[in-house]
Amino acid sequence: MNRRPLRSLALLMLALGAVAAGLARGEVYQEPDAFVAEVFGSKPPAPKVLWLTQDIQTQAAAILGHPPAQLRQRHWSDSHRSVWILEEIGKEELITAGFVVVDGRIDHVRVLVYRESRGQEVRAPSFLKQFKEAKLAPDDRLDREIDGIAGATLSVAAMQRMARLALFLDRIIRK
Amino acid sequence: MKKSNLALALAAAFAASPALGQATVDQKLEILQQEIDDLKAQARRAAPPTQQPAAPYAQDYGSPLGRSLSLGSGGTNITGYGEMGYSKFRRSGDARADLQRFVFGFNHRFDEQLTFHSEIEIEHAVVSSSDNGEAEIEQAWLNYKVSDAANVKGGLFLIPLGILNETHEPPTYYGVMRNQVETRVIPTTWRELGAGVHGIAGEGLRYDAGITTNFDSGKLDDPTTGIRSGHQEGQLANARNLAVYAALNYRRPGLLVGGGIFTGDTGQNGASNPALRGVSARLTLWDLHAQYRVAGLDLQALYAAGSLGDSDRLNAAILANATANGTTPFAAPKTIRGGYVQAAYHAYRRGQFDIAPFARYERIDIKQQEDPANGQLQDPNNIERIKTFGVNFWVHPQVVLKADIQRYTTDKSQDRFNLGLGFMF
Repeated sequence: MNRRPLRSLALLMLALGAVAAGLARGEVYQEPDAFVAEVFGSKPPAPKVLWLTQDIQTQAAAILGHPPAQLRQRHWSDSHRSVWILEEIGKEELITAGFVVVDGRIDHVRVLVYRESRGQEVRAPSFLKQFKEAKLAPDDRLDREIDGIAGATLSVAAMQRMARLALFLDRIIRK
Repeated sequence: MKKSNLALALAAAFAASPALGQATVDQKLEILQQEIDDLKAQARRAAPPTQQPAAPYAQDYGSPLGRSLSLGSGGTNITGYGEMGYSKFRRSGDARADLQRFVFGFNHRFDEQLTFHSEIEIEHAVVSSSDNGEAEIEQAWLNYKVSDAANVKGGLFLIPLGILNETHEPPTYYGVMRNQVETRVIPTTWRELGAGVHGIAGEGLRYDAGITTNFDSGKLDDPTTGIRSGHQEGQLANARNLAVYAALNYRRPGLLVGGGIFTGDTGQNGASNPALRGVSARLTLWDLHAQYRVAGLDLQALYAAGSLGDSDRLNAAILANATANGTTPFAAPKTIRGGYVQAAYHAYRRGQFDIAPFARYERIDIKQQEDPANGQLQDPNNIERIKTFGVNFWVHPQVVLKADIQRYTTDKSQDRFNLGLGFMF
């Protein structure tokens, strides 16, 4: 066998390893507490709990495509902002994301933990900024199209479901 | 947390919380939740280091039931996809219905960094010695994640060439049948045994490179599918000659641009055909591809090309094999090229429903090493143009109905009308 390609690959892998070591980051991008503190400053409001009554569960299930996994959802809120730390499965594993809702619109979104082996592109600012100012349409869908990412279809769908749920839950606590 | 510990925690919470007497029900529950969280945290701190879940999965991210905890160690899940179709051939009038494939995958997380991924495929519904079905392992690989930027993988994994080879769940592509370029030029679903490194090297830029098993040109037995019939699929693969691959893909919302290359010798020192002893028969295959989605329009294009060296010696080996087995010799593939352009438009979206008509034009040029004296000739069907017009109708983002018409320029017996149903979960 011609060994030149193997040598080239070994060099390539070493170079990539060096690059990777330089760029190495954990998969927990931000702790939820830090996300909340970023929104509310050093004195965030105490967490509150929203009971997911049967009626809320039914509506949440329509958004998620499955019943919510818990009966209570924790959140942080003041007079016009609310913060929700939500989790949904992308393809194989849970994605943990933080959503800030201001006056019924998404203010910003951040992926806090991403566990899948592929699809990390959903945490890129270029993807997440599409959610800014999004609100719920009358059918509880987002009022805009979110461009997907090739190869991360299910993670993109999970992010959209969580954004809709955050807006829906914000609407509930504002009633 | 064990149930007994939870009961203790609740008891302690009631006993130790004087505020409970005056609080509302919600306040009481919140106090109890806080107590439970504190006790959980204490229990984690008290656990021996070997049993203590590491930081990311030890967190209860605001989900009162703490589902993430179960993924810290020992999380296993099942995924799957499948497709079935009906084809009516224009010339012969024949029709055929088939459960083309059902694939299920088991995935397991050993800890925060080490995961296992697999897919097991059953093609054509029934697998037995007298049927056409196949059961095969499509993927079985382990991934060690150092960070998003650096993963190491090993096992039987998909080669990152083209678009379809790694992402081939039916709801992710247009048309009942997979496109022919990524079937006959890039032999989707193409996997090899090997090891690689992959990750994100910058915002949206993903790399993947490694060393794997390779084709065995001594196993070539189908002149109509380029090099496909020489693939080994991890089945007692002759591994005297290995291959290297590298791929780069840049993704932004709505945009994918990328390419890859795979190269290595395929002679395998004559392990399958003694006439190939000492023959390198080098295979090099590369591709460039792009996807762009804007304003309901989906545009996609791909070009792939490759070559197989020592085609005259491959011809001699094929001839020797055919003579020994009493079969018809064929001409070895020499150069392999193909490309397609595709456009689709999401004409109707309401709720989960999404209807997108599409059109695709494909060109395939598989040139063979002709030796007329021995009856080894170019197969005319290897120079093909295919037009496909159809529609995808997603009734759910993960479930799709498809219909299309295909017209072949050379092999008109393949002209057909197709209906399909696909899903993934």
